[in-house]
Amino acid sequence: MEEMALVMNKVCKDFKVLNRHEGLKGSIQDLFSRDYKTISAVKDVSLEVKRGEIIGYLGPNGAGKSTTIKMMTGVLEPTSGDILVNGKVPYKNRTENCENIGVVFGQRSQLWWSLPLIESFKLLRDIYMVPQKDYENMIELYRSLVDIEPILHKPVRQMSLGQRTLSDILAAFLHNPAIVFLDEPTIGLDVSMKDKIRSLIKGLNKEKNTTVILTTHDMGDVDALCKRIVIIDKGTKIYDNDIEHLKGYFGSYRTLHMKLNDDTWESMLIDEKETDIMDVIMKKQKETKIKDIRLEEISTEEVIKKIYEGVAV
Amino acid sequence: MNPRKLFALTRAGIMESLQFRLGTFVTLFANLLYLVLVYYLWKAIYASSGVDVVNGMTFTDTMIYLILATSLFNFLEMFVVWDMSRSIQSGKIILDLLKPMKFRKYTFWSYSGSHVVSFIMTFLPTFVVVMIITHGAIHMGINLLWFIISTVFALIVNFNIEMLVATLCLYTESTWGINIVKETIVLLLSGASIPLAFFPEKLREVVQYLPFRAVYDIPLTILLQKNGSDTIEGLLPMFALQVIWIVILTAAGTLFWNYSVKKITVNGG
Repeated sequence: MEEMALVMNKVCKDFKVLNRHEGLKGSIQDLFSRDYKTISAVKDVSLEVKRGEIIGYLGPNGAGKSTTIKMMTGVLEPTSGDILVNGKVPYKNRTENCENIGVVFGQRSQLWWSLPLIESFKLLRDIYMVPQKDYENMIELYRSLVDIEPILHKPVRQMSLGQRTLSDILAAFLHNPAIVFLDEPTIGLDVSMKDKIRSLIKGLNKEKNTTVILTTHDMGDVDALCKRIVIIDKGTKIYDNDIEHLKGYFGSYRTLHMKLNDDTWESMLIDEKETDIMDVIMKKQKETKIKDIRLEEISTEEVIKKIYEGVAV
Repeated sequence: MNPRKLFALTRAGIMESLQFRLGTFVTLFANLLYLVLVYYLWKAIYASSGVDVVNGMTFTDTMIYLILATSLFNFLEMFVVWDMSRSIQSGKIILDLLKPMKFRKYTFWSYSGSHVVSFIMTFLPTFVVVMIITHGAIHMGINLLWFIISTVFALIVNFNIEMLVATLCLYTESTWGINIVKETIVLLLSGASIPLAFFPEKLREVVQYLPFRAVYDIPLTILLQKNGSDTIEGLLPMFALQVIWIVILTAAGTLFWNYSVKKITVNGG
């Protein structure tokens, strides 16, 4: 087996879009227009992911995350550069490569809507040609990780969003793919369901040594699952290392929480290089009474926010 | 290709269609209404013509033909174009593209189950009713076997036409108009709304060689043993026409699809 689950080398993707004009007259013009402009969605992205790694693939909306995922899965062909998934070019021999990848898109389901979950599982088993023995072992593993009994015989359309997402993740791992792409798997879920899903992903990754590429906007997912994160913005990779390293860049930042007289907590992010924390507290104390003070390291969420806002790393 | 994949899809399709029992009854009811309309329309046509046989078909022949055409239409009807445009717009198509099967094959076998169900639930009952009412106007013999074979061919031709139009919709991103045009052309030129025997001579000569005829006219002609289809010499050209169109449309459709799928951008996400 290949040591690297995923290798990208200077991958670019351009799209040609029509320059649209305004108004009714413009719309009519557009019918005959040949006026295209090129948009580069992904620019020179290189990336290596080892087998069994979980990486967080982050970036603000419209940064080019989905485009990259689509190229990794072979749906889109890169304009230039090379991609190897499990040592193979994903957009050639698509059918074959699909046997070795799994996908979950948080807002879409690949399950058969009107059928009980178990039927979708059986169908996927047959489509992916999973031997019966492996299939049974997998279901057994699922049983040990989550309580699947209540949903196994429930039609997918009657499921809650959380149950459906859980089912979709199970479905993506069913044929034991070498690499799984999870696109915002916890979107719209409640706190306890998020937790369940995170521990499920973690469990499956540990048991099966599956490589997981996770895109999310929820830093809770990142904290719970990923050691390493890759951040992309405007199509360019701007960060690729572990989270602790990233926090190091913001080592002088502290989050200050103050409990005020009316029992509300006020939080602010302070750069100790520029501002003295004691000054802030004293200034506040002149305005109102402070009942309690807590000082914290910068959270992942704050770090990512800083980066998206354009603080150079 | 392993048949296990394919039959698994058929099986799921059958189970899914059976969830929508009500739909089947509504279809049967709508057919009944339509047939009442057709009955009076053609009765008037025959009355005004003043003869019993028009273009080699009696009133009973015409009625049997149209009734069976309607139920064959329900059986062959596919919603590939609608379903696909919806899944393009929602972006769900990416999940189908990522199945370890060729997309066209995957789509065809996904629909196969619903055809099995509608054959049993709408075509068979209609056929039995027509058979009883007309007291054996339909010959019961080897023609039934030929009919089933040609219906399977018709299904494949129809799927290919649907797929071509659906692929076209990848470019236009709007479906409604194109689909209506397609349905009208298919229904008219296939002989589903008016038997081809009633077409003007010149038009009929052209239509005879088009793929649309392979969808409705050929299976029905074979079932009713018209145009010499009760002999091998009569049957062969009809089967040949179906097979030739299957080959042409499958080749063209596959090429067009493979070319187009590289161009599309999957929405959203």
